Amino acid sequence: MSSYSFMRRTVLGVALTLLLGGCATFSKDGGFDSVAQIAEARLGKTVRPVRSSDDARAIDASIKNLLAKPLTADDAVQIALLNNRGLQAGYAELGIAEADLVQAGRLHNPGFDFKHITQGADTIIERTFTMSLVNLIMLPQASRLEQQRFEAVKLQVANQVLRLAADTRKAYFEAVAAQQSVLYAKQVNAAAEAGAELGNRMARVGNWSKLEQDREQVFYADATAAVARAEKESVMAREKLTRLLGLWGDETQFQLPERLPDLPARPLQVKDAEAFAINNRLDIQAARQQTASLASSLGLTRTTRFINVLDLGYVRNTDSGLPRATGYELSLEIPIFDWGSARVARAEAIYMQSVNHLAETAVNARSAVRESYLGYRSAYDLARHYRDNIVPLRKQISDENLLRYNGMLISVFELLADAREQVLSVNGYINALKDYWVAQTDLSAALGGNLPANLSNKE
Amino acid sequence: MTSRRDFLSASGAVLMGAAMVSRVQAASLPEAVTQSDPATMPPLLPSNGRPYNPVVTLNGWSLPWRMKNGWKEFHLVAEPVVREIAPGMKANLWGYNGQSPGPTIEVVEGDKVRIFVTNKLPEHTSVHWHGQILPNGMDGVSGLTQPAIQPGKTFVYEFVARHPGTFMYHPHADEMAQMAMGMMGFWVTHPKNPGFMPVDRDFVFLLNAYDVEPGSYTPKINTMLDFNLWTFNSRAFPGIDPLVVRKGDRVRIRAGNLTMTNHPLHLHGLNFEVTGTDGGWVPKSARWPEVTTDIAVGQMRAIEFVADAPGDWAFHCHKSHHTMNAMGHSVPTMIGVDHKGIAEKITKLVPDYMVMGDKGGSMGDMEMPIPDNTLPMMTGQGQFGPIEMGGMFTVVKVREGLARNDYKDPGWYHQPPGTRAYEWTGEMPAAASAPVKPDATSAAPSGAAQPVFNIKRGGVHEH
Repeated sequence: MSSYSFMRRTVLGVALTLLLGGCATFSKDGGFDSVAQIAEARLGKTVRPVRSSDDARAIDASIKNLLAKPLTADDAVQIALLNNRGLQAGYAELGIAEADLVQAGRLHNPGFDFKHITQGADTIIERTFTMSLVNLIMLPQASRLEQQRFEAVKLQVANQVLRLAADTRKAYFEAVAAQQSVLYAKQVNAAAEAGAELGNRMARVGNWSKLEQDREQVFYADATAAVARAEKESVMAREKLTRLLGLWGDETQFQLPERLPDLPARPLQVKDAEAFAINNRLDIQAARQQTASLASSLGLTRTTRFINVLDLGYVRNTDSGLPRATGYELSLEIPIFDWGSARVARAEAIYMQSVNHLAETAVNARSAVRESYLGYRSAYDLARHYRDNIVPLRKQISDENLLRYNGMLISVFELLADAREQVLSVNGYINALKDYWVAQTDLSAALGGNLPANLSNKE
Repeated sequence: MTSRRDFLSASGAVLMGAAMVSRVQAASLPEAVTQSDPATMPPLLPSNGRPYNPVVTLNGWSLPWRMKNGWKEFHLVAEPVVREIAPGMKANLWGYNGQSPGPTIEVVEGDKVRIFVTNKLPEHTSVHWHGQILPNGMDGVSGLTQPAIQPGKTFVYEFVARHPGTFMYHPHADEMAQMAMGMMGFWVTHPKNPGFMPVDRDFVFLLNAYDVEPGSYTPKINTMLDFNLWTFNSRAFPGIDPLVVRKGDRVRIRAGNLTMTNHPLHLHGLNFEVTGTDGGWVPKSARWPEVTTDIAVGQMRAIEFVADAPGDWAFHCHKSHHTMNAMGHSVPTMIGVDHKGIAEKITKLVPDYMVMGDKGGSMGDMEMPIPDNTLPMMTGQGQFGPIEMGGMFTVVKVREGLARNDYKDPGWYHQPPGTRAYEWTGEMPAAASAPVKPDATSAAPSGAAQPVFNIKRGGVHEH
């Protein structure tokens, strides 16, 4: 093929593209619908970008509504999805990507250079009109690339939604558990306080030595410190949740329920978890898309390796005192030394890199699913062990100790010490239960944000 | 359960205990009679052999025998048993023929005694005949005088009961474990002459102690002194039967101590004399009147009195913790400690909590649930209210007009009018006051802040 005929065909192509180029326009939803769909399908939650004051008002209203009663984990996720500013900022990525897409579908503005030089008596005026031919030629391909990038951004934003949901859910469980732990620390403290006070009175009437009195006092002092520590941790957990919920001002007074949700009767049995994760996870979908996109990018490189450096310029030079000279300027990279084979090899390598990344992502996802399921199961078993064994045994021990107190076999101080032990084991259950709910969140995150429909509660 | 009538007959509820003994062997063995009822059995009147005045074993029984070619043959079976310590509490013990302590063996001075001992324990044993003068090889110290009786084996002891008196039997093999598990029994050698020092009622029992953790059944055999159950014949008050006697009876009580501490036995309302020890009878000229006699570890004492005062007379060990059942020895004293405001706090954590001990240790009238298989620290109801006793405590009930062999509990004593302590409702007499030093600057002390005594410390140890 001669370079002349090539040029001619290219110019024709440019003309054609110019006609078609105006097709890329802004979509109605700004790419948000697919994100909303994912949020709806996987989380059962609505997402809504704030684009106007009407949006803001509507979101405010629904948040107020959700905050009117003690928050559930689902409420918390819903609030975060509506109200988290980081996520809203993420939504802007969609707009940017779409703008890029639309931009890619439009011709670059032509360039016009004007040079005016006075050289003694001579004046040189140079005018150059240039427009990117490549832009013209590559417009369909660039649009396609930008379309793919736009899709990737949609996935990214959807992924951000899922991650925020998981983070919020975990923070929620942490906050509720921390709040419950404060309650138990206070109970321990109450027992210690009663013991200390009784110890004081015993010492006052001469039944106890200073040593024994001090022992009860220091226990009380330690228990008070434990309450302060628990309160601090509760505040931290709550603030983390508050940040994820994007709340401030009066809204931070939201109420959490007194207790974590109960442990389900049976743990979930997830069948074909790995296959489900491979199909469901957005990171795998994104890696897939990336690979597909690179594949086309490789094809693009093959067809454009000669022209992607081509520039077409319209030249109109006016030298003073000379007739106007017009023409055009063409610079062409001649592939004598570089026939593009290196570039092809590079593209192929990049493609293979992407393929391997995709494979790696899949392998990691499978592993993450197995790991999180095992974590989930052991968290369930541990919580159940606390609930079915440790807590009842502690209760039984307390009951037996009360009988021994009744029989004057042990003293009230042993009774109080035992009450503290019982409270601590209940607190141990709260933590195990919290770990369970966090593990369940991790599991559903590892599976791509939701649990499969074929999931069963049968053991 | 076996009544005396049953165990005297050859059939009925009499059990062949030596199941491990072969038929051939069994044919040559006397019956191993067993008894599981913890009540005091009536005296075993001798149906053959030399005559004697039988004893009454407190919450126990005497072992029947058979005469064979001039030998008085008994069959003891060492075995695990379940003993009711008092209603509401049972203990897994080791004993003989169904009970711990084992049955009392009664023989007469000069009897040729043959005792078959079958071991149904999981470990070897032996029987030492405490206080008997006998051939060395019959003394029952395993390793020293004989090989131990291995599980499933039957050994025979043969000796002549030479000296009348009060004795006991117990293992001398792994004795720490076996005595802590209740292996022991009483032995009485009656005088050949039934008219020698005769009494109307002759009670026998052993003092023993166990450490059974409340809620458990088996004694902690490694406990040395801190026992929680102090018992007569492995029974604790109110599980100990009363000693019922007829007014005017001459009464003998024989007790042996197989615990690890001494027990000052104290009788109310009557004077007694110590008439016998393990060594024999005390000459009349050497006796002195007592209301308390201390029985040292491993000793036997026989006391005698004439029941000339009707009434319900307490009879108990005078160590106050020994008249208590299971109690916490490290419970702090709560007397005088104000619980106002604290009880509510504790109740929040321990809903069924109740303040106790702030006015003293008394809990005789409290009815609160306690652990399984243990006894309230103090218990027993008398006709005037809680007796607040446990452990080594019982009542000698002296009544007029009882039948000779009537040991049935006659109920509470009805005191004649005007002979019981009563509440004073009249005018209070003026309080007695201590003499005041003539040069005292202040007159009468007005406040409680004034010390009643000025105890001067020091000086005592100046050398």
